[in-house]
Amino acid sequence: MGRIVYAAAMSHVLYPDYYGQNVGPHGRRMVEELIAVVREMGRSLAAAAPDALVVIADDHLNVFSFDAIPALCVRVGRSVGRMVQRDAIEFDRALDGLPDRYAVHEDLANAILEKGVQAGFDFAASWSAPLDHAFLSPVSTLYGARPVPPLVPFWVNCFVTPQPTAKRCFDAGRHIARVVAEGPWQVAVIATGGLSHFPELSLARIGQSDPDFDRRVVKLMEAGDHGAMSALTAKELHESGSHELLNWLVLLGAVSPARARVRFYGEMGRVDLAALEWDVA
Amino acid sequence: MSHYETNVVLYRLKKDETFRDRFRADPRRALADVDLTEEEREAFVRWDTRRLNDLGGMLHLLISIPGLGAH
Repeated sequence: MGRIVYAAAMSHVLYPDYYGQNVGPHGRRMVEELIAVVREMGRSLAAAAPDALVVIADDHLNVFSFDAIPALCVRVGRSVGRMVQRDAIEFDRALDGLPDRYAVHEDLANAILEKGVQAGFDFAASWSAPLDHAFLSPVSTLYGARPVPPLVPFWVNCFVTPQPTAKRCFDAGRHIARVVAEGPWQVAVIATGGLSHFPELSLARIGQSDPDFDRRVVKLMEAGDHGAMSALTAKELHESGSHELLNWLVLLGAVSPARARVRFYGEMGRVDLAALEWDVA
Repeated sequence: MSHYETNVVLYRLKKDETFRDRFRADPRRALADVDLTEEEREAFVRWDTRRLNDLGGMLHLLISIPGLGAH
């Protein structure tokens, strides 16, 4: 019987130069502290020796065009590429030098997709979508030079209205947990992004975060109050700049009722940073 | 979606280098065949990113167009 052997969530711009340029020395220092913690977490992840790593993250309008924006999308196929874009924004330069391709855990990806559709989740499937910093910045920081296990990339539409609800994301995570339990694999699950930044997706409000909201949701996750997390509204997520918490909601569904342990929390101003683990063993 | 065309243009500016070069050389001409309101068109021509954002242009597109990003 399969099981989830490691679970964590973390901010996903793990690139000191970005914060150095846009926030200053204290931003650089804070993300360097976070990176050190994520590397430590990577040792626990590698020790758990998962057969597959499910990565739940969002698209920053890098991958899915306005031809179609999937609410929830499973990457299938045998391998997945790193996004390549000339003159990419600073935080996608963190991808420079990383491997061009990563293996996909095809059997688990197909099971999540096919059983999901049977269970009433109209997941989209992609055979070609590449991975941007939301996936590869955490994965590369967690694993460093160690071999990365086959991935199951899972996208959540965090930004283009109308997004899936917090409850729907949580339920998708419950589905992933069921698929893992029914299968033969030892699986790690991570969610990325956040905490609050870019409130209301407003250019005029770049530079603001919402520490009160961030403290509240971190406390809820520490307490294992997944009902309150699942009840977060689109309005609350939008106004606080917590759009990417939808990724974390999928993870919460996968690990529920486990409680979170805070490995890192920092209030930077432009964005609040965090890394949490869940005791799933 | 009501802001579809604005975001389609922003996405093209991000991903299509040839279109981006044409836009930088002559924005009004590059957008001649695009279905925009006059308000949207003028915001593009002036490259007024705050206005484009107010008109529904996605933040993550506005900050990530090579050479034009409003970050």
